[in-house]
Amino acid sequence: MQRAAKHDVLIIAKTMLRSYLKIAWKVLMRRKFFTFISLFGVSFTLMILLVVAAMFDHMVGPGTPVKRVDRMLFVNAIRQQRVDDHGWMTMPASIHFVDDYVRKLKTPELVGISTGASNATAFTKSKLLPLDVAYTDGNFWQIMDYDFLGGRPFTKAEVQQAQQVCVINEATARDYFGSTAVVGRTIEIDLKRYRVAGVVRNVSAANFYAYADVWLPYTLSSEYFKDNRLNGVFLPVLLAPSAAAMPAMREEYRQMMKRVEIPNPKEVKAVFSYADPILAGITRGILNHQDQTMDDDNLDSFYLIMGGLALLFMLLPALNLVNLNVTRILERSGEIGVRKAFGATGRNLVSQFLVENVVLALVGGLLGLALAAGALALVNEAHPVAYAHFALSWSVFGWGMLLTLIFGLMSGVYPAWKMSRLNPVAALRGSGEQK
Amino acid sequence: MFRHLFTLIWNRKRANLLLISEIFFSFVVLFGVAAVLITSAKNYLAPHGFNYEQVWRLEVRAGQNLKMPRAELDDVLRQVKALPGVRTVALTSGNLPFIFNVNNSVYEYQGKKSPVTNYYDADDHYNEALQLHLREGRWFAPADDGSNHRPVVISQDLRESLFGNGPALGKIFTWENPGKDVKPEDQFQVVGVAEPVRMESDFSAAIPTAWLRLLPYDTTHWETANVLVRVAPGSGGELQEKIARTVAGVTRQWTSQVRVMDDERLHRRRYTLVPVVGLCIMGLFLIINVALGLFGVLWYNISQRRAEIGLRRAMGATGAGIGWQFLGEMMVVTTFGVVLGGLLAAQFPLLNAFDLPVQPYLLAIAAATGAVYFITALCAWQPSRLAAAIQPAVALREE
Repeated sequence: MQRAAKHDVLIIAKTMLRSYLKIAWKVLMRRKFFTFISLFGVSFTLMILLVVAAMFDHMVGPGTPVKRVDRMLFVNAIRQQRVDDHGWMTMPASIHFVDDYVRKLKTPELVGISTGASNATAFTKSKLLPLDVAYTDGNFWQIMDYDFLGGRPFTKAEVQQAQQVCVINEATARDYFGSTAVVGRTIEIDLKRYRVAGVVRNVSAANFYAYADVWLPYTLSSEYFKDNRLNGVFLPVLLAPSAAAMPAMREEYRQMMKRVEIPNPKEVKAVFSYADPILAGITRGILNHQDQTMDDDNLDSFYLIMGGLALLFMLLPALNLVNLNVTRILERSGEIGVRKAFGATGRNLVSQFLVENVVLALVGGLLGLALAAGALALVNEAHPVAYAHFALSWSVFGWGMLLTLIFGLMSGVYPAWKMSRLNPVAALRGSGEQK
Repeated sequence: MFRHLFTLIWNRKRANLLLISEIFFSFVVLFGVAAVLITSAKNYLAPHGFNYEQVWRLEVRAGQNLKMPRAELDDVLRQVKALPGVRTVALTSGNLPFIFNVNNSVYEYQGKKSPVTNYYDADDHYNEALQLHLREGRWFAPADDGSNHRPVVISQDLRESLFGNGPALGKIFTWENPGKDVKPEDQFQVVGVAEPVRMESDFSAAIPTAWLRLLPYDTTHWETANVLVRVAPGSGGELQEKIARTVAGVTRQWTSQVRVMDDERLHRRRYTLVPVVGLCIMGLFLIINVALGLFGVLWYNISQRRAEIGLRRAMGATGAGIGWQFLGEMMVVTTFGVVLGGLLAAQFPLLNAFDLPVQPYLLAIAAATGAVYFITALCAWQPSRLAAAIQPAVALREE
């Protein structure tokens, strides 16, 4: 018996929702100009938010070659506190630090290294070719998933023997040789000759850890020192066996830092370093205020700030929509009066109006998605960042829909409340007076 | 007339509150965009203070932790200078114009501190390469080798902050908080004053600058030498390769790279331009959005107030009078929003936010005020005309 009642309620709710949706559609089509203004506001707001989100996702989300991003930790820097308040020195790691500490960690499945890209020059037939060169080890190629157009990465053995080999990207192969089938040929960079072991697809310059035009074995780097200094130019990348092992790996790195021996204790008092996912690595640096040890990765404050900015950005379009909606309620005072006179409660009207507004927001959201795809195509055409290709992903899409819902509710609540308070008698007369 | 308008607005205060807050936020957005645009445009129109055309940047690096013996470096410079097409070579520090590399510090003269100042090392040929505009004094010369202090040339803005209107040439200043005994190479004696320079990017403001004469023994602990090369117009890749091979010809241990300063300027410009363009697009979209919304609301309000309009027309108000009344009402509402926004915007110059001069802020407030009035007037114009065209008989019969 009780179950049947529940069933009935469900059916009533369903039919109500359906009639609300029907009314919403009718209302949208009645005043096309108002609908256009509302849709314009919703869709462009969402478009801008989605474009920003897509760029953000491009920087920190998974993408070739950093595909297994949920299993990777990066070490950006070692911070040394000098004695007697002589300040702080921040630089990436040395080979000694990588070999004697990071590679000895137990949790990581693989530890690889690379450097940030540095400048070099090659000369083609009377043309100067500026190149970005990075130095890596053999493991790096197993952690990253580069798309090889031809050949293979250089191996651990080749790195150890400091062989003059290199991997180049597609653009360099085309600019220097005129084709991409160049494995085994020789390229002259900074007047030194290297054999091309492989050619990879171009990697976006926004991808700090994986971008370069040319990759060389780290043993050829002028910063490859064999002493016990801690600071150098190398960026260790740690690959966890699974995403679940990430916290353990991070913690083990933290513990390891306590054991690091300072080679020059007369100058350096303490060292600090952290292994972070990409985003945490960025926020730890840029959002740090007072704590020089940078113990907090500031991820929470980052999300708070971004959420706040997004809400602030949505505020003006939302206010605009509220204004329009309040106005439109007056237009519909006749309808509201009839419904109230026939016993509709305030809650009924509020939910009806919210459904209408959310439908409007969702239509606008879908439009915004299409607009964002178009805008990103334009941005990609302009090549603001070398080889970057911004695209909408499922996670961005999900965020977009969530933002649309928030937007729809934000701009619907006040007018809906106002609507529910209309005096039925006055409403029927069409003057829009309040109780 | 105005009292009447205020009464009308007060009677509809709740609806108008929403409009006012919308205008307030629009004002704030417009103010922000205008402040950025005005500052950038003002900087862009100011002279750079040096000539970046036909200047190349040659970076010579000693490999494997090797130092740079002066004799070999001089050899490199001599041979590069002898190449046909090369006009001048000059040694400087790594913070060259338009690249993301800055050396700055604070200087002090008789207890008076300068703002944060960029400083560059420069040799005797630096001015031939970059062609600064000297206002007073002279550039460094070989005769300065005998000087007991370190000769410096300063920019006009640094001169004003350290010496005011008094004489600057021959005066000696130091780093901030110099302590008791200052080494002679840390005592900077002014030999010349140059026009302000903008070496960061096309859109950056002039920054106080000091050029410190490169001391003859300075190069021995260098790992990298930064060389400015002024070339003949029309020089290209061929000469760049020749320079690189010349450096390699002196010693195979060293590597070099040659970059064109004008290319680096354009590269830097793109970096500065992208956020500004993004901000403008966002601002433009917000304003279009608000304008459309305002238009819709006003248009609807007019059709709601047909009865009132009809009555007024019947009482003898002219159509034009009605039109002006609606426009006037909107202007009063706008004024509320603008005054609120202006109060907020005025805090920026008052609190000296972002260390920018007051003038761009005032211009931005003026521009935002003008734009808000223009936009609201534009949105109110068509609905006001509609109101003016209402016939009293038709409107009153509906009621």
